[in-house]
Amino acid sequence: MASPNEPQAPGGQAPAPAPQPPQGGGRGGQAPAPQAQGGGRGPQAPPADPKYHWAPPHSSIGTHVKRLDGPDKVTGKARYTFDINRPGMLYGRIVRSPHPHARIVSVDMTAAQKAPGVKATHVWRDPTNTQRSSIVMFQGDEIAGVAADTEEHAIDAARLVKVEYEVLPAVIQVDQALAGNAPPVFAASGPALDTTPGTPRSNVRQGQTQETGDIAAGFKQAAQTLEQTYSTHVITHVCLESHGAVCEWDGDNLTAWVSTQGVFATKEGLATGLNIPSSNVRVITQYMGGGFGSKLGAQDPQTMICARLAKDAKAPVKLMLDRKEEHLATGNRPSAAARIKAGVAADGTLTAFDAESWGTGGAGAAAGFPLPYIYVFPNRRRAHKDVFINTGQQRPMRAPGHPQGSFITEVLMEELADLVKMDPVEFRIKNLPPEAPNAMWGQYLRQGAKEFGWDKRHPTGDPTPGPIKTGMGVAINTWGGGGNQGRAHVEIASDGMVIVRCGTQDLGTGTRTLVAVVAADTFGIPTTNIKPEIGDTMYPMSGGSGGSTTAAGISPAIRIATVNALDALKEKVAPALGVDAATLVAVNGRIQAKDNPSKGMSWADACKQIGAQPIAGDGAWQPGLSSATTSGVQFAEVKVDIETGIVKVVRVLALQDCGLVVSRLTAESQVYGGIVGSLNFALFEDRILDRNTGQMVNPNMEWYLLAGMSDIPKIDVRLMDQSERGVVGIGEPPTVPTAAAIALAVRNAIGVTVRSLPLTPAKILQTLAQRA
Amino acid sequence: MAEKDDKPGGFSVSRRDFLKTAGVVSAVTAATSPAEADAQAAVNGVGPGNVPVRLTVNGKRVDLMIEPRVTLLDALRMRADLTGNKRGCDRGACGACTMIVDGRAVYACSTLAIECQGKEVRNVDGLATASGLHPVQQAFCDKDALMCGFCTPGFVMASVALLEKNPSPTPDQIRKGLDGNICRCGTFSRIFEAVSSVKGVTRG
Repeated sequence: MASPNEPQAPGGQAPAPAPQPPQGGGRGGQAPAPQAQGGGRGPQAPPADPKYHWAPPHSSIGTHVKRLDGPDKVTGKARYTFDINRPGMLYGRIVRSPHPHARIVSVDMTAAQKAPGVKATHVWRDPTNTQRSSIVMFQGDEIAGVAADTEEHAIDAARLVKVEYEVLPAVIQVDQALAGNAPPVFAASGPALDTTPGTPRSNVRQGQTQETGDIAAGFKQAAQTLEQTYSTHVITHVCLESHGAVCEWDGDNLTAWVSTQGVFATKEGLATGLNIPSSNVRVITQYMGGGFGSKLGAQDPQTMICARLAKDAKAPVKLMLDRKEEHLATGNRPSAAARIKAGVAADGTLTAFDAESWGTGGAGAAAGFPLPYIYVFPNRRRAHKDVFINTGQQRPMRAPGHPQGSFITEVLMEELADLVKMDPVEFRIKNLPPEAPNAMWGQYLRQGAKEFGWDKRHPTGDPTPGPIKTGMGVAINTWGGGGNQGRAHVEIASDGMVIVRCGTQDLGTGTRTLVAVVAADTFGIPTTNIKPEIGDTMYPMSGGSGGSTTAAGISPAIRIATVNALDALKEKVAPALGVDAATLVAVNGRIQAKDNPSKGMSWADACKQIGAQPIAGDGAWQPGLSSATTSGVQFAEVKVDIETGIVKVVRVLALQDCGLVVSRLTAESQVYGGIVGSLNFALFEDRILDRNTGQMVNPNMEWYLLAGMSDIPKIDVRLMDQSERGVVGIGEPPTVPTAAAIALAVRNAIGVTVRSLPLTPAKILQTLAQRA
Repeated sequence: MAEKDDKPGGFSVSRRDFLKTAGVVSAVTAATSPAEADAQAAVNGVGPGNVPVRLTVNGKRVDLMIEPRVTLLDALRMRADLTGNKRGCDRGACGACTMIVDGRAVYACSTLAIECQGKEVRNVDGLATASGLHPVQQAFCDKDALMCGFCTPGFVMASVALLEKNPSPTPDQIRKGLDGNICRCGTFSRIFEAVSSVKGVTRG
């Protein structure tokens, strides 16, 4: 991961610590980027032999198999990184900058070292050492770490660390950064990023203007034009389990339990950062309390500091961040804004789009997003710039860029539809891309409109008397969601139990269950016979879990490994049955001749033939069993109280595809969760910064608002099966369009357009007042 | 104590307030049991260093030497290896720490361990029995009312507290009863379904 002081490479794409999640498909989205990390067999692998193809009928795939680790999670037995307790374990704590921009003059650890219970200290940002910049770039930037016998002692000791700062001017809001007299964000070392006159050289990175068609001609064809500015805000990931690690050394060998979305990337990161052979590092992530993209960092400071403290203290150290640190220093979804002039012909055909867009991903990180999102403007131009401010850097957050691009584009679309007096659904269908991978939106829009009762939607502005106004909105999504790496190892033992080892990790998406479902399906046995072993670098290499790539990356590997193991088992039992192994199939808990079920035996009896040495099978990802690109559509209905400005989402309908649905119950849960995440983005969440001091005003969970049970609408999820496409990930797409659908439902209810998120009661009242 | 039932999302006495008023509280509270008497003596007499604290957790005695500032959550997680309930926000907002103390759901992150002496503490580690999962736990598994699972122990305990008080809650009572808990993965619909489906919890 780049240091906060190093602006990341330009290009307008959301940056990500390796491995980089693909940026999704669809127009305006960046091309899916192959994951940086090697392994699996990658996109160059030859197509999978047909014998590995997903073959119906399925016994487990596509069914409602209960989450395998449900019982461990509901009983508290599941050990998350936060729950790892080791003998003699110490507790670590990080000292962070209270200033959004400052030069560290000195760090004095003397008092902290003498504090009760302190066993080790580490200066992370040492001004006497050139290894790391002595400039802190945001409130919460890491400076030092302490480890003590209790967490209370560690907290006390951290307060005793004396840091002398030379406070530097900071820019906290985008308008401050762009002002002619703005202090430079990258004062000391910033390269010339922008030569626009009047703008501090280091506060803006101007991307290349993208242009297609003939803008002037497009506007000439337009019967109506519109010029408006739309924007979305910064939110943070708020994984319920914070970032952190438990590090334990045995000589020069390190075992690290890390709350990470990429155990293998973290292993490499630790080895590089600590200058030890990667073969000395083992990373374990058995259970993770959410990640949402923020836990893809291979060398997160808290992990590195934890490892160094453990080494110095000669004892295991647990270092988990608190909620405030999470908000400040572990990533966020960058803001997005666009000033757009757009044109539409009288028949509702889009003609022209001219946009200047910007966003901030903090101190040095990009803030890219797809724009326009999905819909076709034949003549279009876009100029984008990343604006830097003194806050923590953004990290990929569930469908990076897409919720922002979706909100901005969909609100624009709704305004254009009203200008030409067209129904929003018909207007959208008219302007969909004629050719796009898996372009299913038209079908889903029609089907969804029917189920949702779209024909009952009134035109913009609920004419019903009284303060409660009702409205409906719709928005669409796309995402890449392909994966191309993953390896698996399978062992069948003589007692009939199957172990599947795969070095992937489960953020909470249901990966462990998916592993078992794929294996059980090949063997025709219940998932209870399968023991998935994941979340450990001792297992076969798999990629980081980001960008909805896990399911599509590991399912083919497991399928290939299990088919290979089954072939070996068939060879073992064929002689006993007196048939050719090639005629055998595994169904309904039996191995039997395909055309003569009486020539067969139970799974248990078949496995008894195995003997003392288990049968093993291995697999690596190959093309032909998975694909990329999803389509989805969501409808929302809201009630708005125009006296209080409070929005209540009444119901949401989601139609979403993800190729072959492997684990139906957990896939549905992903959609429920994506919708709620987007509802939070629309109505509640907001990283509020004080523009004068640069302090985050709500770095907690009571004033950083999140939906509770009473805020949840009725949600209907329709998974659109496309079994012929193979496995496609579903983590990102459902969280893209809900916010826009809600915003448009609010617009439909109250008759005025709110062009920025979040839709707080104050903002809705203000917008209503402006109309009046 | 940080009770959840009466003021969802709020609490009657915060950790900080407790520290400020501990002396007053102990002076005016009539000790009714030897354990409480010990507790009050501990609060009066010592600190900020370690003091003996005796808890009853899931029916078992847990003796600890901890600082008076240690919360119930941290005492169980860090000193008794009862890690089932989680720390999400550490200030009574997310509910992942929810335990049941003397029959009431509390935010264990905002309740001092020393304050729980003489009380019956239940956390998620003790909910299942040898005969199997508690009906609430079973319902969460059946309905897939969890994803990452980090909020789940808190939701389970809040649901148990709700149902022991009111075995047949209305949909609105379920929503209100669980409003003090946050699921970041967004599984609320299925949590609601799970809790609605639970039968056979006896009034506590």
